[in-house]
Amino acid sequence: MTDTPQDSVKATYDTIAEHFAATREYAWPEVESFCASQQIQSPPDTESIGVDIGCGNGRHAETLFEQTSLDKIIGVDVSRELLHTAQTRATNRGFIDDLALIQADAGSLPLESQSVSIVVYVATLHHLRSRRRRVASLSAVARVLESDGRALISVWSTEHDQFERSNGFDTTIEWTLPDGTSIPRYYHIYDPVEFRSDLESSALSIVETEISSGNCYAVVEDN
Amino acid sequence: MKESLMDILCDPLDKSELELEVDERDGEEIIEGRLIGKETGEVYPIEDGIPNLLPPDMREE
Repeated sequence: MTDTPQDSVKATYDTIAEHFAATREYAWPEVESFCASQQIQSPPDTESIGVDIGCGNGRHAETLFEQTSLDKIIGVDVSRELLHTAQTRATNRGFIDDLALIQADAGSLPLESQSVSIVVYVATLHHLRSRRRRVASLSAVARVLESDGRALISVWSTEHDQFERSNGFDTTIEWTLPDGTSIPRYYHIYDPVEFRSDLESSALSIVETEISSGNCYAVVEDN
Repeated sequence: MKESLMDILCDPLDKSELELEVDERDGEEIIEGRLIGKETGEVYPIEDGIPNLLPPDMREE
């Protein structure tokens, strides 16, 4: 197997999927309020579609289902094991008929251009290694968004109490499994200025930004 | 995956069209099969109803 950087993110989350999913029960309030505030206006004969990139156990796919009038939700994740946890959650909570799950990379979204009304891309971008790759992934979001579509993007940031540095940096943060095994996860911890700069370097344009609970958030649209 | 998902899926490599080949289905739901890039010829498996559209260099094995 070729050990490209993104393989490690996939392998990591395949390994910790079950335990990780069990600790990710509730949707983030920032995602709930974003979803609740979106007006879906797709042409009559078109299906309106929302995408959760890095959907994990599907908790925010569920938020898209509950808080919007979207016709279809697509959950994208690099880890097949996490997608299985999303499949289970959606079955148990009655939204499996409205959910499609796709194993794919955030940097090369296999979705048609201008086909999506809402994108939720939270706590995922910071796992992509290299700035070039992260900016390319942001431009991929711009490509799939309809002209009046909106995306919510969040990354972990230096504003979190855990970090003492004020400039963005690469780091490894361990996930500890119940048996004590530590699994390393790559993160790029963003500083707010750098986050804005990466957004501006992509094909997205910024509608608003916010810092909340140690995360940088941006609402964006296609440029 | 439901067959209607074909409307929005494309090849992750060049965003060109995909062709669907079905091995096992349950009504609208495709359980096993593959998606094939019309331009790239790349084969993307569908297993347990979930298509694997990772670019080839990120796939296992």
